Amino acid sequence: MDSQILEARIDFHGQSLMEKITKGSLVLITVVAFLAGFVTQSMQYTFAVFGGASAMLALVVLPPWPMYNSHPPTWLPAIVEPGLVVEKTGISK
Amino acid sequence: MHTLLSRVNNASAFMSSCMMTLLAAIAISSFFLGSQPTGEVGISPVKVFAAKGRRHYSGKQDAAFVNFNVTADLAPLFHWNTKQLFVSLEAEYTNMHGVQNTVVIWDKIIRRKQDAQLHIEGGKNKYAFREVSTSFKDVSPASYALKYNLMPYVGVLQYGEIARTSDDVPFPEAQAKVAS
Amino acid sequence: MFSESLRDFRRLGFRHVLLQVLNFASVIASGLMMWKGLGLITNTESPIVVVLSGSMEPAFYRGDLLFLTNPASEQYKTGDITIYRTGDRNGPDIPIVHRVIETHDMPLCAPESFAFTKPTRRQPKLPAQCTDKVPRQLMLTKGDNNYADDLELYRGLDWLERKHIVGKVKGFLPYIGYVTIAMNDFPQLKYALLGGLGLLALIQRE
Repeated sequence: MDSQILEARIDFHGQSLMEKITKGSLVLITVVAFLAGFVTQSMQYTFAVFGGASAMLALVVLPPWPMYNSHPPTWLPAIVEPGLVVEKTGISK
Repeated sequence: MHTLLSRVNNASAFMSSCMMTLLAAIAISSFFLGSQPTGEVGISPVKVFAAKGRRHYSGKQDAAFVNFNVTADLAPLFHWNTKQLFVSLEAEYTNMHGVQNTVVIWDKIIRRKQDAQLHIEGGKNKYAFREVSTSFKDVSPASYALKYNLMPYVGVLQYGEIARTSDDVPFPEAQAKVAS
Repeated sequence: MFSESLRDFRRLGFRHVLLQVLNFASVIASGLMMWKGLGLITNTESPIVVVLSGSMEPAFYRGDLLFLTNPASEQYKTGDITIYRTGDRNGPDIPIVHRVIETHDMPLCAPESFAFTKPTRRQPKLPAQCTDKVPRQLMLTKGDNNYADDLELYRGLDWLERKHIVGKVKGFLPYIGYVTIAMNDFPQLKYALLGGLGLLALIQRE
């Protein structure tokens, strides 16, 4: 149970959503950070924007927010056949 | 992607790629920023004295003493990726055996745009200016050039020349010995 | 979590371990290949170095990463920042990052003594033929943050020559190299990191 909380699992839809958000916003952050520094001619702005925005993004993307767990997968019931041993962790023949 | 660890791994990998792209973009942008600085170098007549030699040389070795005036506006070189400027005054001459010499006689590190205006009058050489063959006799007149080396926060080091003396400055006969 | 990994490990068996070892070896081999390839292109024995001392402050601080080149056809110039080693006659042979402040380019094929010949004497003869491609060059270096030039660091040599120089600094990336300095200062960290990486590589299922 402990490891379940620590692992903070999300479902398949959540994974795809998280990936889209991460990639999209990081590209945007990079472009904005570059422009911010270029316009002000100060590299401090660039890295302030990049660091700050990345930290905020981490807060949005890393914890298992409910929106990443709104499509729990519905598994088919396990079929017990002769010759097929079903284990708790996986299937082996 | 389903566990916290794999999400951290995935997100930080993409973040470091973005960081590298950002650094590369900054490094490339500095090629398009900054323009040629302007300046002037003036050299008063050079004095040469017979002095004690360098560590391993027994006996005497001529030492040249240079007084110079430098005015330069280096502000055009400062942009967001300029960490510091290394400005140096160099003497270039050829001795009678055909050895080409370039010697830095004075340098200065400039770190802020506010300090980018150089006005130096009656400057003296910071480093000992000696001829390898021990004597400045019969060497060609020297040309003096003010050069810069731009060191960026990230990226490629750039070099350039700010100003050069219009006429070459000859070395006079060595005068009497001075203690050095 | 750990017991689960251990169980996986037992289930996947010996072949899996072998595969992981092979993967690990290929990662190391490709790293080495890139390093050596870069060295070949830039003509230096170590194309990337980490700054270990503060003698070039404020230009380079400890932990900054320097990219070196050493084009065989090009002479060094004053203002170039070079990395040099003067051999290990006494004491450890540590590469030093300092700036060139004097160059003396001799005519092609001239011997070393050529530069020191007094102008009052007759001009020494050049050898009729030699294999040199670039003229011999005598150099003097100095750290930006030091007061004196490097004569004391040359271990008895009067001048630095091309053969002592590993390369000149072309590009610069701050702080990244601090990891290696940390690992040198705290060797435990190095072993912990290596051990952890090795264990992860063996255990991971992918």
